[in-house]
Amino acid sequence: MSDEEGTTAEEVLLYLIAQLVEHPDQVELEIEETETKISLMAKVSSEDIGRVIGKRGRVANSIRTLVRAAAVKDGVDVEVDFSD
Amino acid sequence: MTTETTVEEQQKMVGEFLEGLAKSFGIEATIQHVAADEDSFEVNLDGDDKELGLLIGPKGNHLVAMHEVCKTMLQRRLAGMDRARVRVDVGGYRARRREALQAYVQELAQNVISSGVEKGLEPMNAADRKVVHDAVNEIDGVSTVSVGDEPRRRVVLTVASD
Repeated sequence: MSDEEGTTAEEVLLYLIAQLVEHPDQVELEIEETETKISLMAKVSSEDIGRVIGKRGRVANSIRTLVRAAAVKDGVDVEVDFSD
Repeated sequence: MTTETTVEEQQKMVGEFLEGLAKSFGIEATIQHVAADEDSFEVNLDGDDKELGLLIGPKGNHLVAMHEVCKTMLQRRLAGMDRARVRVDVGGYRARRREALQAYVQELAQNVISSGVEKGLEPMNAADRKVVHDAVNEIDGVSTVSVGDEPRRRVVLTVASD
């Protein structure tokens, strides 16, 4: 995989969000990288934020679990946050 | 009850969703439709066992997360409709655990019958408790009851009164 392509963590996060939101065209991903860690901030439309977070953060936590699993393939730690 | 979507349609949605999810992980996996009735169905993602381990996770954690996002995806697409209950498995992990749990509690049931002493199990989630109830209640002379509150709710095997 070349450096130009998204990491597995990004791929998984974008896939999940696209599948869960009503407005996939309004999804944006901000990426901050340090040597040991990637921070991913997913921005979704205000209509979709509730769905992505879920009751008591259940959906957000499940997304985090899967994105962290994906990051194992990338060999990095990943932090995932959501905003609208 | 108004049914605006069929179980077959939901199986297809879940299948495509999970295959796509595996692909985003860089994992080639295909969906198997393990079981279905009018209000529930079970799908299994099948592929290379070494690769699939990542989708199962420690203590099945990643599998639980996949199940959660799967339900959320169905909720969004089928908002306001009657949906079937979906069970997600990867590489037969849940099926193997279920069989092991059945075998364990069936043996325990025999102990309860022969000793006449009830036996409590450790706390389990609702799905595992159902496996226990179903497996034990097939056996004469022993029955089950759930006690305690979530997340510490657990099954106790008791001598059947009849």
